Amino acid sequence: MSFAWTRLVGSESFRLTAIFTAAICVAMLVLMALVYAITHEALQNELFSAIDRDIAAIKSGYRSQGISEAREVVNQHLYHGASSDFLLLETSWGKKLAGNLPPMTPRLGKVFMELPPQASAGSHQSRHILGEGLMLAPGLYLFDGRDLDLVHDAEEDELAAFLWVLLVSLGLATAGGLVLSHLFLARMDDITETCRAIMEGRYADRVPERGAGDELGRLVGTINAMLDRISGLMENVEQISSDIAHDMRAPLTHLQHHLENALSEARNEEAYRGAIEQALGETERLLAIFHALLKIGQLEEAIDVRTLPRLNLSHLLEEMADIYRPVTEDSGHILAVRVTPELWVHGDRTLLAQLIANLIENARAHTPSGTHITLHAEAASSEVVMMVCDDGPGIPQAERERVFRRFYRLERSRTTPGTGLGLPLVAAIVRYHGGSIELDDQAPGLMVRVRLARA
Amino acid sequence: MKILLIEDDDQTASYVGAALRKDGHWVERASGGAQGLSFAGSGVHDLLIVDRMLPELDGLQVVKELRARGSKLPILFLTTMSGIHDRVNGLEGGADDYLTKPFALAELLARVNALGRRLERSGAEVQTVLRAGPLEVDLLTQTVRRQGQPIDLQPQEFRLLEYLMRHAGQVVTRAMLLENIWQLHFDPGTNIVESHMSRLRAKLNRGFETPLIQTVRGAGYVLRLD
Repeated sequence: MSFAWTRLVGSESFRLTAIFTAAICVAMLVLMALVYAITHEALQNELFSAIDRDIAAIKSGYRSQGISEAREVVNQHLYHGASSDFLLLETSWGKKLAGNLPPMTPRLGKVFMELPPQASAGSHQSRHILGEGLMLAPGLYLFDGRDLDLVHDAEEDELAAFLWVLLVSLGLATAGGLVLSHLFLARMDDITETCRAIMEGRYADRVPERGAGDELGRLVGTINAMLDRISGLMENVEQISSDIAHDMRAPLTHLQHHLENALSEARNEEAYRGAIEQALGETERLLAIFHALLKIGQLEEAIDVRTLPRLNLSHLLEEMADIYRPVTEDSGHILAVRVTPELWVHGDRTLLAQLIANLIENARAHTPSGTHITLHAEAASSEVVMMVCDDGPGIPQAERERVFRRFYRLERSRTTPGTGLGLPLVAAIVRYHGGSIELDDQAPGLMVRVRLARA
Repeated sequence: MKILLIEDDDQTASYVGAALRKDGHWVERASGGAQGLSFAGSGVHDLLIVDRMLPELDGLQVVKELRARGSKLPILFLTTMSGIHDRVNGLEGGADDYLTKPFALAELLARVNALGRRLERSGAEVQTVLRAGPLEVDLLTQTVRRQGQPIDLQPQEFRLLEYLMRHAGQVVTRAMLLENIWQLHFDPGTNIVESHMSRLRAKLNRGFETPLIQTVRGAGYVLRLD
């Protein structure tokens, strides 16, 4: 619990909440100080305007009928007025004529005084009085004041209200901040938990998706998509590793058998030589498989195809056809080229030559003698479309995707030579060049269509 | 030939060294890039074989440094399987030929001899007519004659014969033919060389007793000089 608490306090969202709350409090304090100053001023103004009214009444009484009327007005006022009113009418030599204050030395203008408890009736506390002193006539002093404690009480009430408001908003801001931090942290914890689970090997774990619409929801969605991609790649790698192990076993076993046979059966140099040559053939085949696998692996890196040199694909196709014509003729196939001239792409010549070679070789190896193999290429908007077609038996629809998998071989091709890596290498080269590849039915036959960006 | 072999792996070095010595070459070995550079500075070698992966100073830097010093020594670069750009980097760095590990010894010997021949020829003026035994190839008119009789060849066959003529009396491997005639820097896995070769042989031999192109088992082909 204490751990969770220190985490919460230490969290970024909590710090933000604290800063926010502090800012709100400062703003409220400034506002309250302003309101306080204005009410203080208003209360004092009201106090003095009441005093001015009293003085005016006493003055007019004195002017019309002399000291006795002034005393009468004072007494009347004290009789009817509030207990917070304090009046004194005295002679300048200290003889009290009327009022509820003890005689005192006359002080003129705004006067503040503190009245000891015994001097004020009905109170055990000293009272603070603010009022005005003036000479009504030479030798006649008048003081009119009000109990300031009433003003103070009002102001204290106001301050108390302010304090409560401040406390409540502080509490609300903090509580809100804590709740928000907690919710945020809980979702962060989800992510941390999932990452940790994956580090521990539970690759199927995903971050729980809640509140999909917000930023955090989108982040969670992206993380989960990334995890899906990674686990897809890992499955692929596992599949490939077991395929490799499986496919390597056969040639290695052959090799072992040939060598064992030679050791037990061979009687003369000729026989040994034959066995060694056979063994070398097997190792060559194994190396070819490794070579192709490594090449496919290297082509997985993503590059910007425009960094590759410009290359005349039409030219390359014609050249490859010239190179392959004798060997296709020897196997009874008919190779034709129908290529639009001057088709340029960005590409690696060696890789694209291998791509074309593998496609021609694929068509040649998996079709009977007499099959036509045609190389097509044409421009299509921003692309160059290259097609290698044959009128052989084709590939069943269901198997078309699978032939791009490493080591996959069609049932009827089990006996023909090949590593099962020709088409996967073709696909890797196309991907490396940012292009796409698809297999289609020629009815009859197979069409391999490769699209590359035009340069 | 006096060959400097820069190779850090003892096993490869002794295997390659033994094969080269058996083929009649004199071999000196350096086990690192820096040592190789200092040995090469002596100027007694006719050919350099440099491994790509060397401790401290790598093979590519050795080649670049030698070329920067103005060395014209033929250099054969050995690269590992990894790296699709290794070949291009090696040749751009100044190597004359490259070979990918693992390689067959016959392939190495054939390439070493081809590079040595290039050294002997260097400085000679550009040839327009190639002659080897009864054969005469005119590069300008693209015509071929055997003992004066014209032989009609297809362009690919002509290119194949031209390469064989330039390396007459030497073993040339399948890979050398694929790389140098057709710029195919990979093993196509089929007999495309054999198909071209059988057509060329058939045309050269028509009406004659002795075959001119001999197959060297496990290595490649040789155009006989006699």
